[in-house]
Amino acid sequence: MTPLLDVRGLTVRFRMPGGREVAAVTDVSFELREGECLALIGESGCGKSVLASALLGLLPGNAVASGRALLGGGLDLTAADERVLARTVRGRRVGLVPQSPSAHLTPVRTVRSHLRETLRELTGRRGGEEAAAARASFPADHLDRYPHQLSGGLAQRAATALALVGDAPLLLADEPTTGLDRELVERTADELRRHVDAGHALLMITHDLAAAERIADRVAVMYAGRIVELADAARFFGSPGPRHPYARGLLDALPERSFTPIPGMPPELDALPPGCAFAARCPSATDACAAVPAFDGTVACHHAPEASRA
Amino acid sequence: MGDRLRLSAALVAVVVLTALVAPVAWPLDEQAVDLAAKLRPPSWAHPFGTDEVGRDLLLRCVHGLRVSLLVGVVAALAATVVGTAVGTLAGALGGWADRVVMRLVDLFSSVPHLLLGIFVVAMFRPGVWPVVASVAVTHWLSTARIVRAELLSLRTRPYVDAAISGGASRWRVTVRHLLPAVLPRAGLAAVLMVPHAIWHESALSFLGLGLPAHTASLGSMAQAARGTLLAGQWWPTLFPGLFIIVPTLAVAGLAGAWRERLDPRRRSELAL
Amino acid sequence: MLELRGITAGYDRRAPVVRDVSLTLAAGESVGLLGPSGCGKSTLARVAALLHRPDAGTVVVDGTEARGWRHRAPRAQRTAFGVVFQQPRLSADPRLRLRDLIAEPLRATGAPDGIGELATAVGLSDDLLARRPHQVSDGQLQRACLARALALRPRWLVCDEMTAMLDASTTAALVSVVEDYRRENGAGLLAVGHDPVLLGRWCDRVVRWTDLAPGSGPTGGGQAGRGM
Repeated sequence: MTPLLDVRGLTVRFRMPGGREVAAVTDVSFELREGECLALIGESGCGKSVLASALLGLLPGNAVASGRALLGGGLDLTAADERVLARTVRGRRVGLVPQSPSAHLTPVRTVRSHLRETLRELTGRRGGEEAAAARASFPADHLDRYPHQLSGGLAQRAATALALVGDAPLLLADEPTTGLDRELVERTADELRRHVDAGHALLMITHDLAAAERIADRVAVMYAGRIVELADAARFFGSPGPRHPYARGLLDALPERSFTPIPGMPPELDALPPGCAFAARCPSATDACAAVPAFDGTVACHHAPEASRA
Repeated sequence: MGDRLRLSAALVAVVVLTALVAPVAWPLDEQAVDLAAKLRPPSWAHPFGTDEVGRDLLLRCVHGLRVSLLVGVVAALAATVVGTAVGTLAGALGGWADRVVMRLVDLFSSVPHLLLGIFVVAMFRPGVWPVVASVAVTHWLSTARIVRAELLSLRTRPYVDAAISGGASRWRVTVRHLLPAVLPRAGLAAVLMVPHAIWHESALSFLGLGLPAHTASLGSMAQAARGTLLAGQWWPTLFPGLFIIVPTLAVAGLAGAWRERLDPRRRSELAL
Repeated sequence: MLELRGITAGYDRRAPVVRDVSLTLAAGESVGLLGPSGCGKSTLARVAALLHRPDAGTVVVDGTEARGWRHRAPRAQRTAFGVVFQQPRLSADPRLRLRDLIAEPLRATGAPDGIGELATAVGLSDDLLARRPHQVSDGQLQRACLARALALRPRWLVCDEMTAMLDASTTAALVSVVEDYRRENGAGLLAVGHDPVLLGRWCDRVVRWTDLAPGSGPTGGGQAGRGM
């Protein structure tokens, strides 16, 4: 079976004034299947939002992308022109669940009016707002409210309902839980999981490890523009745990674990060190780390423990 | 946006250069009367033709442009300084000071624009400075409103809270954090005001209340040509008219490009 | 000691978001204030830091009752507080380089201008200090905002959802900077947040908003009223 989304060697560079070059995304490869949730985790500034923009064809003009991102085995999202993306891809084949839903909704229009327009645009149908709202558990008696009259959770559901209208097989959620209370994080995550179980593929970009643990099937850890670990979620968060030292450090920083930060800060993407980008912060770095470790499909580290067969 | 910006900038440069350089490079007398050659249509000797007392219209247009630009720029600057000061006073102090100041602004704007302008001009002997004062007095209100509204919204930003906790005085918060944030907008308002001020001067001169009749000003020239237009002599009206319209459009185009640059919704080049 | 007595506050006198709330922090104590977003806990934090005048109630800072708020508070009293907010982007003047951002309180009060130690404490390099807010990440900017809050050596820290936008490692790093500072200076802390695990791990004691203010439920007006 061909994966729904097949990303191979995706690289994004930004050309900045003064000849500087920002290596936002480097050689990223992963697959995503129907009914699967992949959580892409990493610190802010690690390139994960740029990756999302690349998949939506929304890179700014000074970006250069190479590699490919095949949707459904055919269309290359990095090479498709804007008209194709606008008319056949966004909303129809890739649905976006935005980071700040209240900013994503037009303040002077009701939720019903948002849904009505999106329905007409994507399906050509009139009516059906109640059904569309129900799919994201948005209460029908709130349809005539304006965005500022909604709580954070309801605004999130309204935005999700809009993302689901076109019945896109691939959902892309960009930090869907930022700034939400933990209770709301869990509810939002569970709702997204429900859509995965209904057959959607979900790529969730987040720095919220709790949300990732709650719903992801697999986890991709991004550091300085590269994927450094790609693992099964249960093994990653449970036993035997992550294999890349950065991923271990990230989990150890959680208040429910040892609450100790990884020393230092990630390197700037316009001044990446030669070799492993994490070496300067890594407890187990050696001379071998002067060379960039190859990503073997699960981990990119010279010192990763062998994958145990637990 | 690039083309519009370049075209507007080029036009503004041409206009300003013309006004600055031409009268110096060709020091001819724009007041020279030649009754033998009155109301001549455009020709090689007089590219814009001559007026009803035989003065060269090209020469007078260039001098008129100089006067109009001077009045426009100085008046817009004065209005912006006054408007920014008043708006800052209201916005930075807030509370009752804000209410009192803004009611005064309302009072001022309830008096018809031109009437107030005419009143100011009428108090002095005709000349450039009364006209500048008249334009400034009637144009600072909108800037004051813009500056005040911006300040009121900026005042609620967490960075102002942080500055207060950091021991900053009201003066320091205003001068260091608030004013620099509104100055680009006030500057934009000033640029947009220049054409408006040119029009205002022209209108006053057209009504015969602006500059003394012999001073070459675009408005007074258009006014003087009123009678001849009906007689079929179009050039004394057309050329001063063009000289009012072209700089206006050029400055407005420049301001438009500037406004686009200020727009915070403009997509940033790099969003990591 | 920081005492909040019978505080009623909000953005509209007819519908206060905080109703008759009292809270006392012992000197050097760290208290976590836990509640859902929009419940009024941020408003209470701003009242405590003398940044929002309450409609009723008194604030007593180390034995002195507050008579004025914001600029009307005596400088010595308001600089007793270091504040850090949720969104670093809104908390930083976009025109200042990080170096100037951190030094701003020192300059405003005429204190000797030296931020070397502060910058080291929050882990900002010279290269980052020379940048403006739009050239750094949220995490880096929040480090600068924390350094600014510590610049005047405040006796009290008020951290309003300081880490809500940040990843786990940056969160742990900033919390450890706060705790190092408190250990050295004996400062007290009011940490407002919605994550029970984080606040439980961070603070001496956690107070739930629902226990503190049984009367005032979430109205949604608290956050929206501040143009967030």
